[in-house]
Amino acid sequence: MKSELAFIALPISALVAPSTFAVQYLTVDQAQHAVFPGKSFTAAPVKLVPAQRKAIEQASGVRVLRDDQKVWRVSGGGWFIVDEVVGKHEFITYAVGLNANGSVKQIEVMDYRETYGGEIRNESWRAQFVGKTSQSPLKLDRDIKNISGATLSCRHITDGVKRLLAFYEVALKRS
Amino acid sequence: MRTNRQIEIRRCRPMLGTFVEVAGSGTNAASLERGIHAAFAAVEKVNRLMSFHDPDSDVSRMNRDAFPKSIIVHPWTWKVLETAQYFARESHGVFDIAVARLLASRGYLPRREYQPNNAATWRDIFLRKNCRVFFRRQLVIDLGGIAKGFAVDRAVAALKASGVKTGIVNAGGDLRVFGSISRIVHVRHPAKPTFAAGAVRLAERAMATSGVYFARRRHLGQYVSPLLDGCTGRSARELISVSVAAAECMVADALTKIVFALREQAAGLLGQYRADALILERNAAPSWRFNSSCDTPEWTQFD
Repeated sequence: MKSELAFIALPISALVAPSTFAVQYLTVDQAQHAVFPGKSFTAAPVKLVPAQRKAIEQASGVRVLRDDQKVWRVSGGGWFIVDEVVGKHEFITYAVGLNANGSVKQIEVMDYRETYGGEIRNESWRAQFVGKTSQSPLKLDRDIKNISGATLSCRHITDGVKRLLAFYEVALKRS
Repeated sequence: MRTNRQIEIRRCRPMLGTFVEVAGSGTNAASLERGIHAAFAAVEKVNRLMSFHDPDSDVSRMNRDAFPKSIIVHPWTWKVLETAQYFARESHGVFDIAVARLLASRGYLPRREYQPNNAATWRDIFLRKNCRVFFRRQLVIDLGGIAKGFAVDRAVAALKASGVKTGIVNAGGDLRVFGSISRIVHVRHPAKPTFAAGAVRLAERAMATSGVYFARRRHLGQYVSPLLDGCTGRSARELISVSVAAAECMVADALTKIVFALREQAAGLLGQYRADALILERNAAPSWRFNSSCDTPEWTQFD
């Protein structure tokens, strides 16, 4: 590393930095090709009836919050599903590829967003933040790209996948 | 597709109980995709070998069978054990992979049918030639304090082996930056984890941060966390965080636990590894900083 990076503490006044950590990793189209390279996809959205919802909740032990599920049928067999989970700190859109036999092929996070501190919702406050950062020696971006910090658990996705496997049994397996 | 334009590909998967993000930069999208694929495969392999939860992992096999007879583990597992034992010796047991029985009793790991000897410690773990491991007493190990860092190092090695020249791997906050592009890394606020306390610019370096903010919970009327002092068995409860920068992520990961417990007394060990440390108090103010080399990243404090 270069010498200008030698340690100095640089307090930046009036700069509270809420973690505006939000990344889009993949669009639906990109996720489809990341999980099933070279395949084609036919939209096959599912709207659950109350009995199906109940069956999924019973089988998975996870609450079903939405009736509609975004599903695609994959050429040559298999399913591609886009789903969302909300945790205390995070809002995540992810894709799950299922093999023709219903087993999980791959999971990709498509969109990851952490809840902001209250201030960040205020656009004028945000503008001020952007202005301030241009003077910072780090040239901080508006968005945070990399965070070091203790682990945020992926339990909500684990639960989501459990729910989707039950969804497969109830709504896709025989279709 | 090859272009002259520098592109970055960034992917994220739920792995190791957290989110693992792999990013690579270059001019060839297909080669970046291959590298990222290989990086995730390496992380998956570390998970398969070192998961506490998977009954077929090396860790589960050791917990079941390394007492009373030695067993053979994968060279990667052996390498992590070797490093863990070194840190245990150097920290006089503050870093101890045999504290898993305490983690299980506090609800951080599933209780298993293992019946560990309550007096057993890292001193009862013996590493023999040819990746053989022997426990002198029945004990339960967990590599959660070091395997994530190792997984990051393996992922970086896989990216490099696939020809990716520059990138970053971040496993739930333990990360490593490699190649010609430096990265700004924000550090979470110790008490308000959805805020950043500050930032550093990293190049060719790993950084790990330990804090209790997402993991702290109540147990028998007291706060507990999965950060334990192996000597005293006490949980870290304060909402502080420890960040360590080092060449290898496995080293940075393990050192955060030692600095958490020993603070200034960890200076010698940090120096040995040319590592830097930063302790942030509850209000995010740095209370101790250790700079071992001219590689020390510049810390920008937000207030």
